[in-house]
Amino acid sequence: MRNVAYVLVTVALIAGALRFLQHNEWRWDLPGNLPPPTVPADNPMNSAKVELGRWLFYDTRLSVNGTTSCASCHMQELAFTDGRARSVGATGQLHPRSSMTLVNAAYASRLTWANQLLAKLEDQALTPLLGDNPVEMGMGGRETIIVEMLKSEPRYSELARRAFPTDADPHSVLNAVRSIAAFVRTIISYDSPYDRHLAGDEDAISESAKRGMDLFFSERLECFHCHGGFNFTDSTTHANSRVDQVGYHNTGLYNIDANGSYPEENTGLFDMTGERRDMGRFKAPTLRNIAVTAPYMHDGSAATLDDVIDHYQRGGRAILDGPLAGDGRVSPYKSNFIRGFELNESERDDLLAFLHSLTDENVLTSERWADPR
Amino acid sequence: MAAAGCTEPTVPVTVPFVATWGNSPISCSQAAGSQRMNDLRFYVSDIEFLADTGAAQSLTLDRDGSWQTARVALVDLEDGSGACDNGTPAVNTELRGQVAAGAYTGIRFVVGVPFEDNHADPLAAAAPLDDAAMHWHWRSGYKFLRAGVEGTDDGFWVHLGSAGCKGTVGNIERCSFPNRVVVELRDFEAGRDRIAFDFERLLSGTALDDAAPGDCSSGPAESACVEPFARLGIDHATGDSVASQSVWRVAEK
Repeated sequence: MRNVAYVLVTVALIAGALRFLQHNEWRWDLPGNLPPPTVPADNPMNSAKVELGRWLFYDTRLSVNGTTSCASCHMQELAFTDGRARSVGATGQLHPRSSMTLVNAAYASRLTWANQLLAKLEDQALTPLLGDNPVEMGMGGRETIIVEMLKSEPRYSELARRAFPTDADPHSVLNAVRSIAAFVRTIISYDSPYDRHLAGDEDAISESAKRGMDLFFSERLECFHCHGGFNFTDSTTHANSRVDQVGYHNTGLYNIDANGSYPEENTGLFDMTGERRDMGRFKAPTLRNIAVTAPYMHDGSAATLDDVIDHYQRGGRAILDGPLAGDGRVSPYKSNFIRGFELNESERDDLLAFLHSLTDENVLTSERWADPR
Repeated sequence: MAAAGCTEPTVPVTVPFVATWGNSPISCSQAAGSQRMNDLRFYVSDIEFLADTGAAQSLTLDRDGSWQTARVALVDLEDGSGACDNGTPAVNTELRGQVAAGAYTGIRFVVGVPFEDNHADPLAAAAPLDDAAMHWHWRSGYKFLRAGVEGTDDGFWVHLGSAGCKGTVGNIERCSFPNRVVVELRDFEAGRDRIAFDFERLLSGTALDDAAPGDCSSGPAESACVEPFARLGIDHATGDSVASQSVWRVAEK
């Protein structure tokens, strides 16, 4: 009898869970070889939350003057970057750094260019939303406006209730941020010509791109040491990761005063740690969709992929005059992998063809991540 | 804690603060010379009253649900008017608490949030640690001090907080640069005196008239922090309080 009771209870529980899932389920829908992203235990995925996050991501009311949403600096058609060398906040303040792609941010072990403290999207999102130096969205001290917005807009309130079913009052800044993070976590790219090539489609990429792929993964060019793995960055994590893999690298972009210094507003990890050996160390960004995310580098100081290749081919950038003058090639802090290499014109074309094969049209155009309005 | 024990009677005490530029009052709307204040808020903790003998008695803060927990108080001298366009109308100009009855001739306190509170989740914190304008998500802790002035085409602000923290948000192990200020004022008598925050002293050595707003955001790499940190008694290279600060001073009522 006791066993029968257990079975009945179990069946009832499963049925209840299934009913819940039908309304609010979450499935990653990833190809078999792609591991699911890490999801914080206190912010489980569900479809209402992702939908709420999508609305909020595109809502300019989340800025001090109603001009700026997350999407202002993270535009879908540019792989969620903004096309600027350095981003501009709601009040016109110029950001020291360039907007990073949000594509596959779910797989980033650390977020932003060089802040080793930020491991979760939920933590990162608070800086653009509330930070004041620089002002990005400028909502610091205006949290009640966010809460009121969630409460007063029926669509948001309804989604918030479904997204956070156990909260007595789901209208909070924390839940807004959790929702935006959940939405961003879904922006995953795995449908580029390169991915189709890996999946066995012989015609997915050109012969030139295949040669470029060999160059990219060669010891001669060394690209893959930092831009390695399925997400083309060594700062990658996922639900099955066993180690906390994080990499920051000085690539010899600057060498001010022959002392390895970077411009003061952009010293990379050094700004966070104060340790001189961290001067100019930045995270290697993913190279997925790299062809549509110009300009390049943390400060947008490389206009084109050709400029980027020039920099790595030379083994560091030389700036001949002005306040930033210096030869990055001989920086004392430069990564050992930045050694320079020979590359002829046709090889350069091949490498560029490969980089272009990393563009996933689906992530740039899918309704799923577009402005819902 | 050396505060009021069972046998010692305690007395209520307040410690009022005021903003000045030198000996002139300064506020969001009232200029001192060419500068107006555009922010002044700071957290205070570990408050002690000092007797002539050097003996110290802790002030137990009154928990009020808005400006003071038992450990930390927020002093807020900006009222959201004038140049303080990122501020709020509410102000809190004094500390309120209880101290063992006695004859005190000095006060000592820390400008900063204790480590354990500093790295807890700010979205779950009790007031005044729930103030998002005071939290510094980028550095995983609070801004201990927000202080700024602005003229027509220049100005300067200081955001002080711990830097060089190790770990990740929610799991901070320690911070290489604590950046907490120890304020010790002799000849301070509660009831007689106020404590002035003197912008002129904070910004002595910092160029204001360079037609560009500048700032110090507590970064170990920021050269603009060297002078204001010296005024705060903090060694910019280590983040330790190593000398007497000169910014907070006794002012008669």
